Amino acid sequence: MAEITLAYASSHAPMMAAARESATEEQRKNFFGALEWLRDEARQRGVQAAVVLSNEHFTNFFLENFPQICIGVGERNWGPTEAWLPIDKAWIPGHPALADHIARSTLHSGFDPAFSHLLELDHGVMTVYHELDPEMQLPLVPIVQNCAVEPMMPLRRAYEFGQAVGEAIRSFDGLDRVALVGAGGLSHWIGHPRVGDIEESFDRWFLEQLEEGNLEQLLDMPDSEIELAGNGAHEIRSWVAVAGAVAPVTGRTLAYEAIYPWITGMGVSHFETA
Amino acid sequence: MSLYQLHRCVWDSVRASAVSSSNAGSHFDAGKYDLTDEERRAFEERDIATLYQLGLHPVLLNGFARASGFSRDGYREMLAVLATGEERTGRWQR
Repeated sequence: MAEITLAYASSHAPMMAAARESATEEQRKNFFGALEWLRDEARQRGVQAAVVLSNEHFTNFFLENFPQICIGVGERNWGPTEAWLPIDKAWIPGHPALADHIARSTLHSGFDPAFSHLLELDHGVMTVYHELDPEMQLPLVPIVQNCAVEPMMPLRRAYEFGQAVGEAIRSFDGLDRVALVGAGGLSHWIGHPRVGDIEESFDRWFLEQLEEGNLEQLLDMPDSEIELAGNGAHEIRSWVAVAGAVAPVTGRTLAYEAIYPWITGMGVSHFETA
Repeated sequence: MSLYQLHRCVWDSVRASAVSSSNAGSHFDAGKYDLTDEERRAFEERDIATLYQLGLHPVLLNGFARASGFSRDGYREMLAVLATGEERTGRWQR
């Protein structure tokens, strides 16, 4: 059976690739240093595939049909979709057997994920995946979540979905070592009068909850309250899902930087599952 | 007429501009979308503040503003007059 050999969550922002140098040297050193450490750990631990949870930005779905969750079950997926994102456009190998198993297993756990045989991957997945494997050869199972269009899956449900994903990975007998990654958040605003602001106090509180494993307060938060940390803060659903998948393992904050040129609170949390 | 039509129109124009590299809205035929007069005017004039007030989704608003050549600081300035003071606090602030 597979093990979740490596589990972490990271903020994503297109500017982490497109305007990398606009952050200070110290910020870059801390944020990318954490991702570099995780990349090294992935190599050392012999990770064979990665499951990456991130949010949908109207890249694959529009208002005609907007699933809360969609699992990429295809042989390959395409990304990044943004022409201006300085990551080579490529077919990213999928892992159909693992993805199919996650889809079937979560169905049996009471979830109804959509599935797609061809997803377009935007910065949400690609920035963090590219940091994990710059060669973009590591088989990737993308899971896109609705973190932007109301009504959204409540945080507690996202946590429970993560639990189901964790159980699915651990019951898959086609691989031994899988990485589970959440990509999104933390606080930021987009298309809003507060675009450019960062709610650092929320970010630090959120990271603290993950470290303490004290998620009850967090999971009860309604969307109207999350919104006080920015409409982009809904993306913490990807982090919460990872926390659910590996519970009772708690998070350890590897980095946090409020990077204003990237308009986002940029954090990295590692959940030591090994 | 519905807000859906405005969303579809804006997103189609952003996608078209990504392909043609032309500015969003400038060479895009919005005639086939069932928009109100106010929606059509706001779209054609790239009136970011009105589109925000009409309820255009912020992800689309961001994409449309950027495709129309506005920087984030630029569109933040346009939206600044619409900012409302927030009296609520989150649990992390208590």
